[in-house]
Order: sequence, then structure tokens, then C-alpha cells
Amino acid sequence: MPSDERSEKQAAAQQAVDILHEISTILNCHLDRRSLSICISMIENGVNPEALATAVKELRGEVQQTQIEATSSANAPAPRRR
Amino acid sequence: MAYLADLAALTDQLIAAIASSESVPKPRGTRLEARRESALRTLRYHTFGRTNQFEVEDHLNGYEERFRVIGRDVLADEFRSRLDALEPLRNKWSPEVLHFILELADQPAQKSDLAD
Repeated sequence: MPSDERSEKQAAAQQAVDILHEISTILNCHLDRRSLSICISMIENGVNPEALATAVKELRGEVQQTQIEATSSANAPAPRRR
Repeated sequence: MAYLADLAALTDQLIAAIASSESVPKPRGTRLEARRESALRTLRYHTFGRTNQFEVEDHLNGYEERFRVIGRDVLADEFRSRLDALEPLRNKWSPEVLHFILELADQPAQKSDLAD
């Protein structure tokens, strides 16, 4: 049955993502399962893997910058009023 | 056009996923727009070559060997068992996905912890 075939394919795809996530964890890639799933979809849409890795590193850098800005503005003393 | 729309939608999801994993609020408005444009530029106008599946295999085998050389045999065994388990599930995109994972590897021989 086609629906059985589709569900089998989906189960195999899920299993593949699980194993790829475990491989990425062993290689210390700092990727959660959701991010990895999105990246796999992008690669299956024809995105170059090296360009995607570069984009992920840039996004992480920007996110960390945002975190630093948020922390420093939270720790900054309130302006004095006269 | 549909490709670009799909790519932009997936890029938005990726930005949200990375922000949430780092506990930063989702970017909105111009900030989201700027991040999306920057990421899309990197994804579309790159000069990287195509993935060589044999180089990817060599690289993966090299990691297993390195784990064993530094005495992390348990990590090497776990790594090899995952690669073997992936074998029957491989499709035409598997070398590209593994290439992507290898690009993001961060000193696994020193930093990887099996407890993770």
C-alpha cells in the first residue's frame, strides 16, 4: 500500500536523522536535533554544505553578540537623575 | 522563485532554532531581516566546491583513528557503530550532510563527552 510505503520511508528518514544527530554530537558540532533537521532539509534543497556551515557559524556569532549586548545592557548602571 | 521562497523560509526556521538553542529571544523586524539577508547571501553567493564523497569517508575514518590513537576507544567504537547503522539508511544526500557535520566538528578528540 502506498501509505504504508510512505510511513516506512518516513520512519527510515527519522532514524537517519537520529543517527546523524548522534554523529554530530560525537563530533561536538553543537547542533540540536531541530537545527540539524532544518539543515538537512536545506541540503536536500540544493544548498552547498560548506556554505551552510559557514552561515551557521556566522549566525552563532551574531547570536552570541546579541547575548553579550543584552547582558552588558542589563548589567549597566541606570543613568542618574538630578 | 519557489526555491528562493523555500530557502528563505528554512533560513528563518534555522535562525529561530539557533537563537532558541542559545536562549536568545527570536529576532524580529529589521534584525531578523538583516540576519536572513546575510545568511542568504552566504548560501547563494559562495565559491565552495562540490562535496567529494571519498574525502568525506577519509575524514570520518580519520576521526575514528584519531580517537583510537589518543586512547578514546569507547568513543571510537560508538562513532563506528553510528556510521555502520547509517549505512543502510544512506541516500544521495548523505555525503553532503556528513560533509556539513564535518565542517562544524569542534575538536571532538579533546572535547567530546559520551555523557552528552
